[in-house]
Amino acid sequence: MATINATVTIGSDIISGVNISNTMTMTKAGTNNGLDGTTGLNVKTVQTETAFKLFDHSEGDPAKRASKVYIRNTGSSATDFFYIGFGEDLAAATIETIGRLYGSDWMLIPWDAVAATTHDIYAKASTAESAMTLEFIAFTE
Amino acid sequence: MATTTATVGITSADLTPGMALGISATTTLNKTGLTDGLEIMDMGYGTLTIADSHKALHEALGTVDTSNYVYLANESTNAEHYIEVVLHDTVIGRLYAGDWMFTPWNQSDSVAEWSIQAYGGACAYTYAIFKSSYVLPDSTQGTLNP
Repeated sequence: MATINATVTIGSDIISGVNISNTMTMTKAGTNNGLDGTTGLNVKTVQTETAFKLFDHSEGDPAKRASKVYIRNTGSSATDFFYIGFGEDLAAATIETIGRLYGSDWMLIPWDAVAATTHDIYAKASTAESAMTLEFIAFTE
Repeated sequence: MATTTATVGITSADLTPGMALGISATTTLNKTGLTDGLEIMDMGYGTLTIADSHKALHEALGTVDTSNYVYLANESTNAEHYIEVVLHDTVIGRLYAGDWMFTPWNQSDSVAEWSIQAYGGACAYTYAIFKSSYVLPDSTQGTLNP
């Protein structure tokens, strides 16, 4: 059993006093035991607008559904981004798309790694004119 | 122009023997394709009971294909209580007691709303949504002063 802690801090002056701070310890489903599996930290650089897979559903256990994934666009561009979502059909108006990671953006979400390819997580760069890099890691049961 | 920053730190001394894990990152939440900060946000607190069906945390009422970000936390302390998080009809995952998530949200489809449901027991939750745009829903009172 491992101990993995993740802390988020969000500060904003949109509204006075917005200051979110929260720490979670990643645990196995329904227990206080820590997650102890991981894909390891991966880095992938692409210069194509073809979608590519970050996480395969087989990396999680469909019976143990407390996995987490972290993804970050290591770039600094305010205009170039990665679409992140489920499956390869990532674009402006597809329901599989979760969101866009612009330069320096990151995300940390739970991952319901059910036994289906519909829960494979993909990324797709917005441009092929320059190389773009993602770093990503999954924490699994 | 507002400034919103989101920072994450992930650490583990024992996940991989002999190699401590340390990840940290900070981003500034900007409007779509710009370096201007987002200026619209919702923030709140609520409680889901297991009698509830899926509840819409936020409807996709902004402009499609834009920069938006969602923070959501399960404030329960019971390890068996979790919140199922759904985007449109896709189950993203489960937030167990104490878990949080932070993600971009593309509003890639007009029905790409976030839904949440408690399982195992009631779950208090906190959330914050940072948005590029938002369309107020029509008033049920219609036109009051024509």
